Amino acid sequence: MTAWFEPFAEFAFMRRALVGTLALSLGAAPMGCLLVLRRMSLVGDAMAHAVLPGAAVGFVLAGFWLPAMSLGGFVAALMVAVAAGLVTRITPQREDASFAAIYLIALALGVLLVSLRASQMDLMHLLFGSVLAVDDAALLQMAAVSGLTLLVLAAIYRPLVLESCDPAFLRQVSGSGALVHLAFLMLLVANLVSAFHALGTLMAVGLMMLPAAAARFWVADLPRMAMLAACLGSSSGAIGLLLSFHAELPSGPCIVLICGLCYIVSVTLGPRGGILARRWHRQTRPIR
Amino acid sequence: MASFHTVLLSRRHWMWGAAGMCSGGLARASEPQVVASFSILADMARELAPTGVRVASLVGPDADAHVYKPTPNDARRLSQARMVLVNGLGFEGWMDRLIRVSGHAGAPVVASRGMEPRRSGAHQSGLGSHSHGHKHSHSEVDPHAWHHPGHARRYVDNISQALTERWPQHSQEIGARQSDYVLRMNALEGQLRARLSQVPRDQRRVLVSHDAFGYLGEAFGIDFLAPQGWTTASEPSAAAVGRLIRQVREQRVRALFVENISDPRLVERIAQESGARVGGVLYSDALSHPGGRADTYLRLLEHNLVTLTDTLRATR
Amino acid sequence: MRFAASARRPVLRLHELTVSWHGHPVVHRLSGVFRTAGLTAIVGPNGAGKSSLLAALAGGRVQVTGRIERRLPQRLAYLPQADEMDLQFPIRLGEFVAMGLWSRIGWWGGLGRQERDLLHEALVTTGLGGMQSRLVGELSVGQRQRARFARLMLQNADLILLDEPFNAVDARTTCDLLDLLPHWRAQGRTVIAVLHELEHALRCFDEALMLARELIAWGPVGQVLTAANLERAGKRVQSWNEFGPGSEAKDAPPAAGPERKFPS
Repeated sequence: MTAWFEPFAEFAFMRRALVGTLALSLGAAPMGCLLVLRRMSLVGDAMAHAVLPGAAVGFVLAGFWLPAMSLGGFVAALMVAVAAGLVTRITPQREDASFAAIYLIALALGVLLVSLRASQMDLMHLLFGSVLAVDDAALLQMAAVSGLTLLVLAAIYRPLVLESCDPAFLRQVSGSGALVHLAFLMLLVANLVSAFHALGTLMAVGLMMLPAAAARFWVADLPRMAMLAACLGSSSGAIGLLLSFHAELPSGPCIVLICGLCYIVSVTLGPRGGILARRWHRQTRPIR
Repeated sequence: MASFHTVLLSRRHWMWGAAGMCSGGLARASEPQVVASFSILADMARELAPTGVRVASLVGPDADAHVYKPTPNDARRLSQARMVLVNGLGFEGWMDRLIRVSGHAGAPVVASRGMEPRRSGAHQSGLGSHSHGHKHSHSEVDPHAWHHPGHARRYVDNISQALTERWPQHSQEIGARQSDYVLRMNALEGQLRARLSQVPRDQRRVLVSHDAFGYLGEAFGIDFLAPQGWTTASEPSAAAVGRLIRQVREQRVRALFVENISDPRLVERIAQESGARVGGVLYSDALSHPGGRADTYLRLLEHNLVTLTDTLRATR
Repeated sequence: MRFAASARRPVLRLHELTVSWHGHPVVHRLSGVFRTAGLTAIVGPNGAGKSSLLAALAGGRVQVTGRIERRLPQRLAYLPQADEMDLQFPIRLGEFVAMGLWSRIGWWGGLGRQERDLLHEALVTTGLGGMQSRLVGELSVGQRQRARFARLMLQNADLILLDEPFNAVDARTTCDLLDLLPHWRAQGRTVIAVLHELEHALRCFDEALMLARELIAWGPVGQVLTAANLERAGKRVQSWNEFGPGSEAKDAPPAAGPERKFPS
């Protein structure tokens, strides 16, 4: 049995990958829960594409210098998030549509900029890391971002919850709705871009959204949902890494698929709205 | 408007005149007559082609031919070229279709024609195959034959022969260029071997993040290990990385090299964990940009071997 | 205990107020006074501009010309029709109602002994005692409206604006909530409510403002809610819709229908 866990003992890269996944799960879980509850679930994927024009500009200005491209990517993602947020606040359009519209513009712009340089180099490939290649700097970055996320979320918890469920009331009692919304979006971008950089887009978005979507079927309120999501994410990470090691499978997809398995189990068996639970309810409470 | 055309035409005439010998066969100087699939072949062709024959490359410098996506412009250039030059051995998976689509008359010239290719997983000096249990998502044949000077000479022969067939009036010039090029190649090879001989054979163990140097290893007696397969698209499993680290530790591989198109972070990670040193960039599938360190084939060969030698020597 | 009309100070004074919605005027040149310790019902046919007027009084997103004088300092609580709430977002009843104490607890303040007592009292008064851990999304419409009222109570506002608070709410809840209003009046608060059912206005409210884009009548509820006024209001809205502001369709057919209903 302990032979299963040997890879973690033997290899530093496995330990780092595990810690990286843990750090990501901690910070991404509450963000993922908020995204799911605010109906912004596809935003993570959109952001993965939104970094492209910024990275392209960084590349044009400074060549293959990774910090320039990373910074450019971060700024581009931030601009997309803020622009979408503004559109949502000022116009009747909802967040999902405004995000979709603006990230598509950013993506097209990015593809255009990349193609102008007449090089087929895959910028994204350089910009997005992989879970097996996590080094100390990336770990520190992830830990810092996770810590910051938890701190900021704790600070803005109340207005954020209110802004999500009853924004009209928040407008009445406090003018901080826009500020809180903006802070949330900035946190989101920080989490996503840092996770892209360290672990790649599949893992970043997968570990943010799947555990949160799964946790929905087990618990109701936000703090417990976030904790459950963090647990699901970390354990999926550990199991996925072990599976990737023992079964010769690529690690990123493995981890995300384990998360996916958790999700399918939750959809089927989860007590809060799961498929079997609903059928059982229907049977034991006949419709009058 | 008319004066503009006159200027253009007179410039063209000036170019032709300055080129010296030319015949009626050199119409349309703006379109390349020889189109090679990638930059290394294009460079060789440029060395061998007679003056006035323009050579172009589809996949440019610093680009990845494995994942190249051809454009309509490429199809146009192929259709108007007199000679299409490909590597063969499965290197350009997209080329057959492109040639068909472009309507290029005649078959492409395969630079690697007649050579015995190396198979993936084949290993030198009994280190054992690193590919046990590996699931390959790519072809078994290693296409990167140009790294072996012997094969490169065959490339030169094949290209020269094809050029002579198409431009028989320049066969003398082509022959002269070929001899000169081969001489230069041999001289360079001699220098590089002498340099490398300062590193004992059992210390010539090197890790690269892209398994494209099999032929180089064969030619110069260097053992190359790789964590990934040929193409840049596959994602490694933790098992493969772990196995490689074990192997690097066990076999005491001393130098790691980062290729210019694969993920360098993975190599850094393995180096740190296994105690090897990271030695810089090796060029595998493409030349560097003009003005770079490896902008011709000979300079590429030189750069790779000098870098290897220096790094291996430094770890002693 | 009713205060004499003259002893009650004005809380809101309107001067020629015109409220527009997307460029179209929906309330035309309204002037008048709301006083403390009063329950005023705003009534009128559909499309009369009642909700827009309330939104304007609450300082919301409507275009306004003319003047609204508010007596400061004054806490205001506004209960719009419950459209913007996201019901699937998980929030417990206790948390939801406790938001009414925002002015005391703000972003980070905890719920101290006093606050928890206030919360408990508000919940019990609105008939939601012991339901603090229920999810708001799982409550019935009536229970949710009680919760919003409880939250309103905790806001401890001097001026309370309610927009059709008993729409789609069951009779029992409506009754219970209406019973709260006299207490609020006794505490010196001003309540202005847009109402759909005239019975509610007659039963519980002191004054009524009948609105049909422009002012039809404003005063004690018995004097305002007459058949003649109702008919005038119906015609006025019709002619507004057909001919725009300031017209009176003298030839409009007389409205039919039972008493106490707006002709439509």
